[in-house]
Order: sequence, then C-alpha cells, then structure tokens
Amino acid sequence: MALYELPEWAGLAPAVILAATSLVLLLVDSIDPDSSNRPALAGTATTGALLSLAVTGWFLVAGVGDPDGRGVISLFGGQLVVDQTSLLFTFIFASVTTMVTVASYDYLRGHAYQAEYYSLIMLAATGMATMASSASLATVFVSFELLSLSSYALVAYLKDNRGSVEAGLKYFLIGALSSAVLVYGISLVYAVTGSLRLAAVAEAAAGTELVGVLGLGVLMVLGGFAFKTASVPFHFWAPEAYEGAPAPISGFLSSASKAAGFVVAFRVFTVAFPVEQFLDLGVDWVFAVQILAVVTMTLGNFAAATQNEVKRMLAYSSVGHAGYALIGLAAISGPNSDLVLGAGMMHLLVYGFMNTGAFLFIALAEYWDVGRTFEDYYGLASRAPVASLAMTVFMLSLAGLPPFGGFASKYILFMGAVNAGFWWLAAVGAVNSALSLYYYSRVVKALWIEEPSDDVAKVGITEQPIGIYAAIVFAAVVTVALLPAFGPVTETAVSAAGALLP
Amino acid sequence: MFEYAPAVALLPFVSFLIALSVGSYMPKKGAFAGIAATGGSLLLSVWAFVTVSGGEVYNEPDLFTWVAAEELSLSFGILIDPLSAMMLIIVSLVAFLVHVFSLGYMNDEGETGLPRYYAELGLFTFSMLAFVYASNLLMAFMFFELVGLCSYLLIGFWFRTESAASAAKKAFLVTRFGDYFFLIGVIGVIATFGTAQFAGQESFPVLAEHALVDGETEAMTTFLGLGEQAWVTLLGMLVLGGVIGKSAQYPLHTWLPDAMEGPTTVSALIHAATMVAAGVYLVARMYGFYALSPTVLTFIAFVGGFTALFAATMGVIKDDIKRVLAYSTISQYGYMMLGLGAGGFVAGSFHLMNHAFFKALLFLGSGSVIVLMHHEQDMWEMGGLKDKAPATYYTFLAGSLALAGIIPFSGFWSKDEILFEALHYGLGNQPLLLGAYAMGLVAVFFTGFYTFRMVFLTFHGDPRSDTARDPHPVGWSVKVPLVVLGLLATFIGFVNMVPVADLLNMDIEFLHQWLDGPEETVTSVHHYEELVHDAAGFEAADIGPYLPGALSLGLALAGAGLAHMLYNVPDPEPHTEKLGNIRTLLKRNYYQDEYQVWIAEGLTLPVARAANKFDRTVVDGAVNGISRVSLDSGSRLKQVQTGVVTNYAALLTFGLVALLVVVGLYGGWF
Repeated sequence: MALYELPEWAGLAPAVILAATSLVLLLVDSIDPDSSNRPALAGTATTGALLSLAVTGWFLVAGVGDPDGRGVISLFGGQLVVDQTSLLFTFIFASVTTMVTVASYDYLRGHAYQAEYYSLIMLAATGMATMASSASLATVFVSFELLSLSSYALVAYLKDNRGSVEAGLKYFLIGALSSAVLVYGISLVYAVTGSLRLAAVAEAAAGTELVGVLGLGVLMVLGGFAFKTASVPFHFWAPEAYEGAPAPISGFLSSASKAAGFVVAFRVFTVAFPVEQFLDLGVDWVFAVQILAVVTMTLGNFAAATQNEVKRMLAYSSVGHAGYALIGLAAISGPNSDLVLGAGMMHLLVYGFMNTGAFLFIALAEYWDVGRTFEDYYGLASRAPVASLAMTVFMLSLAGLPPFGGFASKYILFMGAVNAGFWWLAAVGAVNSALSLYYYSRVVKALWIEEPSDDVAKVGITEQPIGIYAAIVFAAVVTVALLPAFGPVTETAVSAAGALLP
Repeated sequence: MFEYAPAVALLPFVSFLIALSVGSYMPKKGAFAGIAATGGSLLLSVWAFVTVSGGEVYNEPDLFTWVAAEELSLSFGILIDPLSAMMLIIVSLVAFLVHVFSLGYMNDEGETGLPRYYAELGLFTFSMLAFVYASNLLMAFMFFELVGLCSYLLIGFWFRTESAASAAKKAFLVTRFGDYFFLIGVIGVIATFGTAQFAGQESFPVLAEHALVDGETEAMTTFLGLGEQAWVTLLGMLVLGGVIGKSAQYPLHTWLPDAMEGPTTVSALIHAATMVAAGVYLVARMYGFYALSPTVLTFIAFVGGFTALFAATMGVIKDDIKRVLAYSTISQYGYMMLGLGAGGFVAGSFHLMNHAFFKALLFLGSGSVIVLMHHEQDMWEMGGLKDKAPATYYTFLAGSLALAGIIPFSGFWSKDEILFEALHYGLGNQPLLLGAYAMGLVAVFFTGFYTFRMVFLTFHGDPRSDTARDPHPVGWSVKVPLVVLGLLATFIGFVNMVPVADLLNMDIEFLHQWLDGPEETVTSVHHYEELVHDAAGFEAADIGPYLPGALSLGLALAGAGLAHMLYNVPDPEPHTEKLGNIRTLLKRNYYQDEYQVWIAEGLTLPVARAANKFDRTVVDGAVNGISRVSLDSGSRLKQVQTGVVTNYAALLTFGLVALLVVVGLYGGWF
C-alpha cells in the first residue's frame, strides 16, 4: 500500500524521469556544448531511460492503472491518464530508448553535439510517454509535436551527411503538412462537440446533426496519426527518413515513434470515437482504417521485396508492420474486440524489440563501413557470427516464424482478426507475411550462405563495439524470450485493451 | 512380456546403427552385432510366441501418435496375435541364420564393403519385423516401403557391376509400381473407415464386415458413387497392387529373377522371410477384409494359380542355379496366393511358413554350392558334388524334396492343403476356382521336374569342370544354418497334417489350432472361415483329402522321375534344347520383360515428357508469373517514391481526399 502514499501525479513518474534526464543533458550541453565525454553522456541518458523503464515495470507489476488493482489515475482535470495502456506503451518506449542510447555510445564516436543528441532522444521519449497518457486532444497534439520536432532534428543529426539532412528536411515538411491536417481535424471535432477531453467528445458527439463535419474531423485526425505510424498514404517520409537518419535513430523512430502513433490512435479512436456510437452516426472510421490497413500492409511488403539496400528494405518492412498493427483497430467492430486490440498492442511490443534490434545491426554494419546493399552483407556471418545470429533471429521473428516472439504476436493478431469475423484481413496479412519471408530470408541468405565479398573481408571486425553488441544481444534475447513469456504479456495487453473499450 | 515387444524390431535397428557407425573397426565388420541383435530378436519372438500361446494377445494400436486430428489420428502400434507371433519367429530365425551364414559367405570370401552389408541387413530385418507386427495399414505401408528400399540397397550391393545396379533399380521400380496402388488403397481405407487398424472391434475389416454383413452402412463412407460391396472390392484390389508387386505375382514378377544379382545370402532373406513374403503376409494380415469380397478372393486365387504354373514352366530351362530357385519362388508364392484366395487362410499361412524354411535352406545351400564352385553358378559346370560336400548335399536334398512336395517333407503338406482347399470350394459353388486349381496341379509336375533337374545337375553325375572336381571347402558357419534349416524343412510340415488327421480322426492340426488363437477374436481362423462362408458365399463340396493328395503327389513324383531319367546319368545331355521354339519362348520368359520395357519406353516416357512440359510451362509458369507480378508491382510501387518532397505532399493530400470521399460517400455525409 506504499504506493498510495505517493501523490497521484507520481503515476507520471516515467515521463517525468525522461523529461528530467533530458533537462540534465540540456544543462550539460549549455555548459559544455562540445563535450565528447561519451561514457558520461550515454551513461546519463541510459540511466534515465533505465530508471523510467524500472519504474514502469514496477507500476505494471504493482497493478497501477489496473481497474481491478490500484485503479486508473486521472490527472489535471482529465487531461492525462495513467492506465495499463499508457504503462505498457511507456514500457516499450523506455526499452527502445535504452537500447538506442546504449548503442549510440559507440555509434556517436567522433561526432559533435552529443549532449544535444541524447537530450533530443530523451525529449522525444518524453513526448511518447506523454502521448501514451494523453486523455485530451490538446495534450495529444502537444505531445505529438514534442515528439515530432525532436525527431526532425534527430534525423538530420548527421549534419555533414547530405542524406541525413535531406531526409530531415523532407520529414519536417511532410510532418508539417500532417500536423496541419491533424490540428485541423481536431478543430473540426471541437467545432462539433465543443470539447477536447476524449470522454467528453464521445458524450457530446452523440446525436449531433453535423455528421459530415464530424466525419471530416475524425478522418483528418486519423490522417495525422497515420503520419506518425507511417501508414499509407502518409508514409512517404518514412523510407527516406529511416534511410538517411543515423541507424539507431531509424530504429528509434520505426519502433518507438510508430508505437507512440498507435497508442494515441488506439486511445482516441476507442475513447473519443467509440465504434458503435459512430457507426450509428454514419461515421464509419473502421472502414477507413480497414482500407489503410490493407493498403499499408500490401504496399509496404511489395515495395520491400524489391529493395537492394538492407536499410531501405527494413524501412518498407516497417511500413508493412504498421499495416499489421492497424488490424488491431480495423477489426474492432466485431466480437472479441479486446483480444484483437490487445493483439495489436502485443505486436507493437514484440516489434519494439525485434525491429530495433534489426536497425541496430544496420548500425553495426555502418559502424564497420560494410556498405548498404545485400551484396555487401555477403558472408558477414563468418566474421561476426554472434551479431549475425541475432540478426537472423530478428529477421525470422519479423517474418513471423516460430520459435520467436514475432510468431506469437502475429499469430494472435491474425487469430484475433479471424475470431472477430474479419477473416479477410487475416488472409491479406497472411499473404503479405508469406511475401515478407522472401525478403527477410534474403538477409539471412546473404549473411550465412553467400560467399564473402572482398569488402567484407576488409572489414575491421577486430574492433567490437560493446554498446551496439550489448543492445543487439539484449534485443535478440528478449525476442526469443517473449515467446515463452507470452502468457503475462497477453494478459496485460488484453486487459489494457478491455479497459479502453466501452 | 509385451512391454519388451518394441525391442524385437529395434534390436536389429541398433545393429544397423552400430554396423554403420563403427562397423569397420569391429572384428568381422559388424557381423557379430547383427548376429547378437537378430539372436536377441529371435529369443524375444519366441518369448512372445510362448506368451501368446498362454492365451494373451497383444494389441496396442496407439503406442505413439504422430498425427492427431479431431476426425482421425495416425499412430504407430504393435499387434502380436498368433499370425504375427509365428511370422516374427520365422523372420528373426531366418535373419539370424542368414547373418551366421554371411560369416562364411561374405567375410571368408573377402568381400569389401562389409559394414555397409551388415548395416543394410540390420535395417532390412528391422523393417520386416516392424512390418510384421504393425498394428495398422499405414504403418504397415511405411515399413513395406522401407523393406523395398532395403532390398534395393542389398540387391545393388555390388553396385559397381552394371547388372547389379540395374537389377536393383528394376526391383525398386517394379515393386514401386504396385505400391502406388497400395498407397491409394491405404488412403482409401482411411478415408472410408476413418481408421486403418488391423485388429480389434474398431478395425477396418470389422467395420467393413458390419457394413456388408450386418448392413450397418453408416460405418463406412463410399466414394465415386459405388455401393459398399463394390467399394470394398475396389479397396481390396488397390491394396492387392502392392502385394502383387512385392510377392512377384504375374505381371509384376519380372524383378525377382534379376534380383539374383545381389549376394546369395540376401536372396535367401528376400525370398524366404522378408521382401517377397511381405506381400502374402499382408493378405493374411487383413484376411478379414479380403474374405468379404468373393471377387477379390477369386482374383487372388486365379493370379496365384496362373503365376504358379507360369513361373514353374520358366524354371524348367534355366541353367543358373539361383535363377531356377528364383522362378521356384515366384511359383511357390503363387501357391500361397492360390491358397489364400481359395479361402484357405491356414493353408496359405502354412505354406508361407514351410516355404520360408525350405527356400532359405535352398538359397543358403546354393550359396554353399557357389562357394564350393568358386562363384560359378552355371549348373552345367557342376556335377558330382554329392560326395565332396555331403552336408550341403543332404540338406539341399531335403529342401528340394520339400519344394517338390514329396511326402513327408514340409512342402507336401501345405501344398496339398492349398490344392485341396481350391478343389473343394471349386467343386462346391465356385467353378472359377477349378481353373486355378488345374493350373496349380499342373505346376506340381513342373516343380518336381525342375527341382530334381537342379539337384541332379548340381550334385549327381561326373564333375563337368575342374572346380567341380576340386571344390573349395566350406566352414561351420555355412553348415550349421543348413543343418538347422534342413531339419525344419523336413519336419515342420508335421504341425498340420490334414490328411493324417482325417485318416486317424485325431486332433493334430496344431497350426490350425494355433492360428485360431486362445479365444475367438476377429483375427481367428474360425472367424475367417465364417466370413468366407457367409460373406463371400464360398461353399465346400464334401470330398475326402486322399485322392487329391495322391494325385498331386503322383504328379510331383512323375516330374521328379522324368528329371531322374533325363539327368541322373553320369554325363547328362542338355535335353531342353530339343524343345525348339518353346525353349526360346521360355528362355525369353514369355517376352514379359520386352513388353514391360515397351510399356515403359513407348507409353510411360511420352506421358512423362508431356507431364514435364506441362509442369515447366503451365505450373512453373504460373508460379513464376506470380512472383514476377509481385516483384514487378513492387518495382512500380517503388517508383512512386520519387524523392521529390512536393510529389509526396501532393500524393498525401490526394490520398487523404480520396479516403474522405470514399468513406464520406459510404457513410452518406453529403
């Protein structure tokens, strides 16, 4: 009962810790902008992320936010909320942030403005954690922008690299457009309902006559979220940004930032725009999400199949996975909706580890200057067997093969969709998964089966970056361990989803 | 005892692994591992036999389930009833003796590749034993195929000689042809009855019986619009395809004579106890199913009778001692099929047992002759071996007397019983069986002739070559198996002397009682006899066993006598050359090979080519087409990503507008 003695705002501790870490790093940056004390900087960031992760884990175990446990905490007049969903997603964000900061220790060797970099990462993580807790359209938008602005700067962090700067600019422009769409959508919703609090929106929307305006608003809000989750057609920034950005940032954006987009989407669309009520009104946003899910899955996987560069392939595969996660919302109008929504959350959790791990392997390859294409990866396994083994785990798990976590989450997701009566969504997902096996196995084949090219032979693998290795191995272990540990994860996710649904 | 039942088959499997892995480091190259394993199997089989005779039948259909679905489960299990207990002993005994004999035949002759030989022998024994006590048809099929694979390996043991490699291939392909039908039959049985078990109240013969005899047609699902009776007949015929291939019945017998290319020990194993016996054993195993269909029974009998005669005539002119034996094998399995088809379950099983012993004896005896003769197999190069190798001669003679069916050797009793079964049902209400009987009867004469032609040419008269004058001595490892088998070939027939039992009016039909089992079950002889009578509608005429017995004995003696007249002289002439055109016809084996080669090359090859073309153009085309379309559309999608940010903004906006319009129209906002 010790927790009850803490004030209620302590429920926000994970986000507060992240924000405080960011401020500490910002302070360091203003005192010594050229600091290249890598251990101190990366250590501070990692400590903050780990602390946040630990607190989140503790809260989850202690039953904070669990309606049957210590109860949902609502703060600041219902602007922020701490429940299982927010904690589960904060857990994802903190984990990914930890892996990224650990890996960045090596990756940033020789780069300037390191304090700024870590500070931006922590700010972005703060934005994500706040997004997970946002219970009003206003806080959604503010935290959304906090994440977005930090991300633009992070993508463009390699200032001497044309690709990085160009990607940052494109990301910013598309992001500005999408934010405009989102905020316009919010304004339309506000115009109809006169409220920004999610629960109040749902109440006020009942029986409105301005269905067209409300519908426009809802779809534009959906568009804004589609930008964050890199769903088609708001995905155009993603391949470019992931490719141009430093590889740890690519992993950060494609795993954590995507999950952040999904958590607001899940919360806003279940709490503010409840399915049945909006179907009665004639605002069939589920239909729109279904279109997005199918198009996103298909386009992402098809485009990934023809890439020659591994990082770009992963970028498109990340678009494809957004499509899978969208099934969580797209199949919500059927029975067992808590299972399918929970399955979407689980998939994002597993994805957070396997996808970050994959991008960190790219970071490792970039660290060694291996090259970018599949050919450059030929025979890498003979030089770096541990990392290659981990990469194989990530690839097979992303493809959804047993015995890895990706198999379980994808299986439950498709099964949930079938149970909810959306067998065709599951069928499209399964076909796309089959296609994805083609390009994921290309990586495995390149690593293990193909003869090494000359470039690989030259790679100075004498140098083993401890940080990147540690992060990769950690991600691989979790990816494997999540399969046996799927029981409690499922329980938490389904319970979290059940609490969101009316 | 039965908890050790899996070890009966697994022991030879262990010897296979041992011989394969460390055989080349062992004394005698793995022979002792094989001898110990098959000896162990033999002891366990005897133990199982004793346990069964104590009144226990072991039917554990579900020792290991490897596919479990709601409607159907596929599993490995063990069935040890009187029939399989008897067969286990036969197989393990012959395998044990063959292993011992191999010491003298293979090791002492300095063959290379012996670890491979003993490994394959172990695997062969394992497959056959597992086949024998398989509890369901699917498991039987799998081990049936494994048996086929092992004979392929062993026939081609001397794979560097072209004829051995080609004989192995032929054996594999021809039996495989029959096995296609068998496989379809297995699937058909599972689809029809939902089970492939042999014994027990839930087994497929019992379900079929319920459907056909008791009219409970919901027990089975028929297909192709056929009635229950027709469907059971069709299934029986399909499974029979595998039997005809394995047991070398007409027209799939052509592989067996060529299979002589393998070592003689292997021939003994293949002919007596394993490969060829598997086919007939399968018919006996699922006799409850065959007994439901008079059409299939008659067909079996007819094929059997025809094969018996057909192969016996070809045996008459062969000059190679092993080839004579090969044709005699085909002919003798024809008798077994005749017996089973004519409703004589006991007669067929009886002959299966007798034949196993005397044919193993004859093959091992011929192996001994081949050692004596420095690997010469042409009988015209032999002669006069009688005095130089008495042990080989007397045992071989016992086997020959059994084969020819001379009283009181074992073959007489079983062959007589088979012919009697065919005759008394034939005179009853199945006149078609009379034709089969007639062919079987004529074949008795030819059998007597070719058997004693072989004996006289090999052992009697003057030596016709230098090696025959000075033969290579053989050791104990050759003689001991011969003596054991010689005794069995002489006396084993006493277990079921039907005419004597009838004459003395005594209850001495021990095999009949044994196969009837301790209590009546669905695999008891009594039950089979009822089925043959009630379901198949066979009715026996009331005739005594003496006259038919005397008739067949007379024919056998006549054949032997003719051989005696022509060949038991100091310097025999090749009399068969006087046969002229008939000899050519027989020499070419009735052109069976030629027409089968024509079928393969003239018919199958073009069809295969056409199928290949279809596969490459249509099937591959479709598959490649799908992947090409996927990758092409992927490339097209890739082009949308122009890299120009204004294009992105435009596409994004258009996408949003399109979504708004579609959902708006769908939702009726406008």
